[in-house]
Amino acid sequence: MHKQRLIFTIVFALVMSATVSLPAAQTVWSGLVIAENVPQPAPMPPELTSIGQTLKELFGYNQFDVIGQSTKTLRTGQEDWLASSKYFGLHVDARGETPVGYLVDLKLYKEKDLLLETETKLSKRSPLVIKGPLVGSGQLLLVLMVQ
Amino acid sequence: MKTFEQKWTAWVDGELTGKELAEFEAALPDKAAAEAEKRDAQKLGALLKQELGADVLSNEEFFSHQLRERIARESAAPERPVGRSTWWTVRRLAWSGAVSLAIFVVSTLFVLRENNPGEQSQYLTQILNARVDPAVSPNATISIFDSKDDRVTVLWVEGLQSLPADYAAK
Repeated sequence: MHKQRLIFTIVFALVMSATVSLPAAQTVWSGLVIAENVPQPAPMPPELTSIGQTLKELFGYNQFDVIGQSTKTLRTGQEDWLASSKYFGLHVDARGETPVGYLVDLKLYKEKDLLLETETKLSKRSPLVIKGPLVGSGQLLLVLMVQ
Repeated sequence: MKTFEQKWTAWVDGELTGKELAEFEAALPDKAAAEAEKRDAQKLGALLKQELGADVLSNEEFFSHQLRERIARESAAPERPVGRSTWWTVRRLAWSGAVSLAIFVVSTLFVLRENNPGEQSQYLTQILNARVDPAVSPNATISIFDSKDDRVTVLWVEGLQSLPADYAAK
């Protein structure tokens, strides 16, 4: 009797700790960003604030403008969605959860042309930035992050 | 002043002496029968001692013995809780506390290990493969690196076809 209660206590504690660590629904922000240097740069968009300084240092631009975006709440980890601007489309296809995030396939379209595709293990703690083509005097960037 | 019964008991036990013995024996109505009864009583006493093997206790010893037995019984009796008994005894509470503490320590170590900066690479976004259409961008090259400061993973693509500023439209 004593052993049974002890085992029950341990199992209960383990189940509770496992329940606490179960992943909840996550929101993924995906954006098409035009980076360029301008005399009077606009403030960093709120979605990019957390990595704004890194973007400036890596790419050497002082303004980042979101031209297309999508916010998707992942419940099954199998969803897909599109973030698009007038000429570009970023198709994101989540193909399941990993221990630290999601497995996602990304495809960048310029109108109907596929410019780039990649398969990625997106971590909840690690944003993904893709350097796209030069656009005018600026640069197209693709950003994907779990919020 | 001793009663007849007290003197009789003392006579049977051989404890009467001198004048008291003479007076008692003189007072006996049938001394021969009394002597026979005395011998029988002595035989019975000897038989009881032999068969039972128990020491005959005096009154003081008997009460003292009873008192000691009662004290021993009361001392040996287990202490029962007055109220309703519960499973959570002090010992079990201590064990449960120790087990819970152990689980907490293991969980904490697990979480700390997960957050260990030395192992952060597995928590960075990983690019498994990337491909650029060679027909559209034949000179494109791909490189991958991480920014350790805020864990940004970068897919750096060079050589994509440049586009006019109109493509920056929202």
